[in-house]
Amino acid sequence: MIKEHVSNKRKTDIFLHNLLIAVLAFIWLIPIIWLVCTSLSAEDGMNTSTFFPKAWSAVHYIQLFHSDTVNQFSAWFLNTFKIACFTCVISTAFVLMVAYATSFGQFKSRKKLMNIAVILNLVPGVLTMIAVYFTLKTFGLTNSHFGLIMVYSASAGLGYLICKGFFDTVPRALCEAARIDGCSEARIFFQVILPMSRPIIVYTVISSFLVPWMDFVYSKMILNAGISANYTVAVGLYKMLDKSLINSYFTIFCCGGVIVSIPISILFLIMQKFYVEGITGGAVKG
Amino acid sequence: MDPFLKGDVTVNEKSNGLGTIIKTGIVSFFAAIGRFFGEFGHAVAKGDWAVKLSLIWMGAGYARRKQYMKALLMTILEAAIILFTVKISMQYVPKFLTLGTVQAEQVFNMETMKTEWNDFDNSFLILLFSLFSFVVWFAAFIVWARNIVNVYNLQLQAERGEHINTFREDMRRYIEDRFYVTMLSLPVLGIIVFTIIPILLLFFVAFTNYDQQHMPPNNLFTWVGFQNFINLFGGGGLTVTFGYAFVRVLGWTLVWAFFATLTNYFGGILLSMLLNSKKTVWPKFWRLLFVITIAVPQFVSLLLVRNFLSNGGIVNTICANIGLTGFLRDIGLISTSYIPFLSAPGWAHVMIIIINIWIGLPYQMLIATGVLMNLPGDQLESAKVDGANAFQTFRYITMPYLLFVTGPTLVTDFVKNINNFNVIYLLTQDVYTTTNQAMANSQAKEVDLLVTWLFTLTQDYYNYKMAAVIGIVVFLVCAAFTLVAFNFMIGGSKESDYQ
Repeated sequence: MIKEHVSNKRKTDIFLHNLLIAVLAFIWLIPIIWLVCTSLSAEDGMNTSTFFPKAWSAVHYIQLFHSDTVNQFSAWFLNTFKIACFTCVISTAFVLMVAYATSFGQFKSRKKLMNIAVILNLVPGVLTMIAVYFTLKTFGLTNSHFGLIMVYSASAGLGYLICKGFFDTVPRALCEAARIDGCSEARIFFQVILPMSRPIIVYTVISSFLVPWMDFVYSKMILNAGISANYTVAVGLYKMLDKSLINSYFTIFCCGGVIVSIPISILFLIMQKFYVEGITGGAVKG
Repeated sequence: MDPFLKGDVTVNEKSNGLGTIIKTGIVSFFAAIGRFFGEFGHAVAKGDWAVKLSLIWMGAGYARRKQYMKALLMTILEAAIILFTVKISMQYVPKFLTLGTVQAEQVFNMETMKTEWNDFDNSFLILLFSLFSFVVWFAAFIVWARNIVNVYNLQLQAERGEHINTFREDMRRYIEDRFYVTMLSLPVLGIIVFTIIPILLLFFVAFTNYDQQHMPPNNLFTWVGFQNFINLFGGGGLTVTFGYAFVRVLGWTLVWAFFATLTNYFGGILLSMLLNSKKTVWPKFWRLLFVITIAVPQFVSLLLVRNFLSNGGIVNTICANIGLTGFLRDIGLISTSYIPFLSAPGWAHVMIIIINIWIGLPYQMLIATGVLMNLPGDQLESAKVDGANAFQTFRYITMPYLLFVTGPTLVTDFVKNINNFNVIYLLTQDVYTTTNQAMANSQAKEVDLLVTWLFTLTQDYYNYKMAAVIGIVVFLVCAAFTLVAFNFMIGGSKESDYQ
């Protein structure tokens, strides 16, 4: 708290300090402000002469939810939601399972498995996905949501480190006590470890739910050649900015951007507390 | 105490850097192989007739010890592997060395009086199923050998008159002391199918001529040895452009990863110190504002920024209005009537790094904030007592601590940036066209990273062979860098300082 007796010099110091932060925050928010303003523009295309739209209107938000040949936002949103739900369930399960095994499992090859995971994590995701892509293509699974869900979640187990870092802090004495009481390992996991790990479960659930919403490259790769109604939000919105479409769809793109950002931002803000602590904890443990 | 905050206590585990991991890894790998065959040989030599029969019929040993359920399961597994080998592998594996010889053709069938496709070979399927067969056979071999050891152990148990588990008891172990096996099975299967097999597949593709002219099913592709690598590294007459583009793309990838990582890292630390300072009035509010920018999905924010900065976009209009464009033209920095933020070399490179600061700094700020909260208070206290000023405290206490805790993330961030697809692709795709003919010939652009280049090669030009080679190079670059960096950073004996 600022005390009464601070000198004027100190006051200006504090003022300048906060002014600097405010200016930086403003710079950071300019594109976001522009996104919201443009989404409320009355024109279809991009406004290139002034920062704020010349005429304001919310009409494009209504258009956004009325599908036409290009814009099928409602369908994209539902697709992404569906994919996100499946991905979330599978990924969370996989991450928790691997984290449990590497944290609580007492087996010889534990360290070896973890080292293999380190090396596998060095292989760029885009790279493996290209091989997955032509395999899926051979079996006719591209342009399908099943293929995309598999791409998102099948290898999710490799992202177990943060969760393992958390499990490592669960007191072993509790598990020991449960074991003496005759609990099986499976029961210990479900009734002792999981209830204690609510924060990390929330983190894992939200972060894996966000993957399909945030991702662009995999959905473009898998769904690119398919029909518009099967797109996810990312692919759909990207296609709206095609050179031939941008002049009639830019404002709708902005509306879509705002709509999809709102729920994601909320989830992200809930998650970020865990993100910070998880990353710093997990990074050190390696 | 918040369980996450214990992060900095368990530093010890990290102390075996990748270098040692690999050194001990190789040693223990061969030791494990030796042990594996040793146990197997011992079991075969000392086993009774049932153990020896298990070499052929995998269920024999269990049947002898009255574990009928296990015997049945093993028999089914064995049958499945044999069936797979006969039905699928035999179709493809014999053609593995040639990757197929029968070109797809439409032939007139005299019997049905119709034009039909001949019984052609599909090189990709041959490669894929051969590879799959190899993986299955490898797994089958391990199961087979372990099975002998297991039934031999059963024999020993029986000879000592010990209790032999019923099937129910055996199964129960999978929720008891072997629960970790249950937990690992599905995720590991997922990783094998969706990460390991694709990597192997890509590795093989790098030695073939799989590209647009050799696209299954209509065409065959075949092995070409190291030809693709020679092309990439600048040998070979006509394709010399690949070597030309490769050097430039690799160079930019490294420059980009270096600047992107460092700017974000130090920017994030400075920003978090600014926000966490006692002078800041509403730290939580300011932090929220910064976090909002990264909460918006990148495909929205980056596509937006790219239009914000486009040649005919709003920023250019403003710059023209305030005379900046004219000024830059006068001093010769641009020759166009607009500022080519994302469409000319040089400009685009700088802008991409700046935009990446915008998109990446808040992440780093969050991480640094988390770490700074753990900063050992007593050290700061004693520094103050000793009369250190703010800069000295930062230089000698805060910074070393931060480097120590977040050093590993610096390395992983560098690797992540080498593979930072989104920023480059979303900002420059369709906007940036190269004027350099040699680059264009190999479908590369000056602003491409290795990963965006290989993405374009596969998605737009179906040049899988070169993409695979580039992919291998990316992996090698990342692996080499990680190895060196971890050895360099963690090789020191600083661990104890913070414990």
